[in-house]
Amino acid sequence: MSDTRPQGQPDEAMVDLLIKQVTEGLSPAEQRALDVLDTEVASAYRRDLERAAAAVTLAGSDQKPMPEALAARLAQQAAQHFSSSAQAADLGAARAAGEARIDQPHTPQRAANRFGALGWLAAAACLVLAVIGWERSPAPPAPVAATPPPAAVLPAEVPPPPTPAEERAALLAKSDSLKVSLGATKDPAAAGVTGDVVWDPLTQRGFLHFAGLQANDPAVHQYQIWIFDAGRDKRYPVDGGVFDVPANTSEVVIPIRAALIVRKPAAFAVTVEKPGGAVVSGREHVVALGTTG
Amino acid sequence: MLQRIASGDPAAVRECIEQYGPLVWSIARRLSRTPSDAEDATQEIFLDIWRSAGRFDASQGSDKVFIAMIARRRLIDRLRKTSAEPPMDPVETLDTIAWADPGTALETSIEAEQATRALAELRPEQRQVLELGLLYGLSQSEIAARLDMPLGTVKSFMRRGLIKVREFMNVDAEGVLSEG
Repeated sequence: MSDTRPQGQPDEAMVDLLIKQVTEGLSPAEQRALDVLDTEVASAYRRDLERAAAAVTLAGSDQKPMPEALAARLAQQAAQHFSSSAQAADLGAARAAGEARIDQPHTPQRAANRFGALGWLAAAACLVLAVIGWERSPAPPAPVAATPPPAAVLPAEVPPPPTPAEERAALLAKSDSLKVSLGATKDPAAAGVTGDVVWDPLTQRGFLHFAGLQANDPAVHQYQIWIFDAGRDKRYPVDGGVFDVPANTSEVVIPIRAALIVRKPAAFAVTVEKPGGAVVSGREHVVALGTTG
Repeated sequence: MLQRIASGDPAAVRECIEQYGPLVWSIARRLSRTPSDAEDATQEIFLDIWRSAGRFDASQGSDKVFIAMIARRRLIDRLRKTSAEPPMDPVETLDTIAWADPGTALETSIEAEQATRALAELRPEQRQVLELGLLYGLSQSEIAARLDMPLGTVKSFMRRGLIKVREFMNVDAEGVLSEG
């Protein structure tokens, strides 16, 4: 491994960039900075770091079998890839492209900072927490599906994904998951609502479970989840996504999609908002609230 | 096998899927946000493997490290492209990691065994940083937030950890070379 290793060591700034490159990728600005610094020494060091990262990945891999349907798709993909002389010629070109890519690590684009926009909200008498602001990501959240896609749309051989209810049950069985009862508020829309939250602080996954929550017309309004984090300013609850309750649904299980990492969940709330969710909630309609304390 | 794939041998391609499928799937599951993403990523990774097979050089490391490097590049690229989405919603939960012991790691590859020995010399919090970053694809900032740890400390732990593994791999390689 050291046969062709160039002499010398990269400086500290370069090592930091190289480590970031092989562990999470670089922003365009970081990539430009590395390009300026890049040398044969850096290339050799990057190769070593990539090998080290790959070795750690191997040491932590469990290597469970692939789903049979995926293996079948791969075989089909392989057959298509290698099936004709034209594709064989393409293989040669692609191989050359692959070689180039291996030698020149990717330079993925950094997405816009999703945590840039913060919204503040005045007065909210109905909440237990004296909260005056809500934090939202800039774009309205995508609706969270209350139910999985119908199995009929999936190829017959593909096992259906676990339903939210099944995932919630699995999370409930974990000893270190957080269970919170949700209480209805005095809002008319909350009449008869019962529910609970299960949340895994480690994986940042969780589910709301409701009974009695009124069906909504997504064109008129949607429900929105908020998570109050004791590790953050109380004025900035974390957006947990929006969701709908279909008509004639007695119970729903909703996956929580926290827009930010929640360090110490203190409370969960559900509000009624305009379609797509609110950037700054008016909190006129808080239908459920539960605290961890 | 990788050389046979490079020459377009269909049988080698099938063997490749059978032999490396569980490894690629294992890595993809942990570095993808959903099972569907993991499946898409697995297909992309195998295309990358077939296209890059001609570059495999056994003197530079094992086939499995080569495969894992290709998989990691593809998955990091995918994670970066979707980084506007909420933080990781992993297919697997974080408490399922069990580092191989040196004996069983050796069955995976010599590099896995070297990494396991290097990891054993790290403090638990250093190992945790490597685990979150390398096995679950969290950025250093996300690790800092999740562990309530200063970003500088996360960077330092990641750096020391990777360098430690690198040292073990290079020392072993040089040892083998000198013995040979």
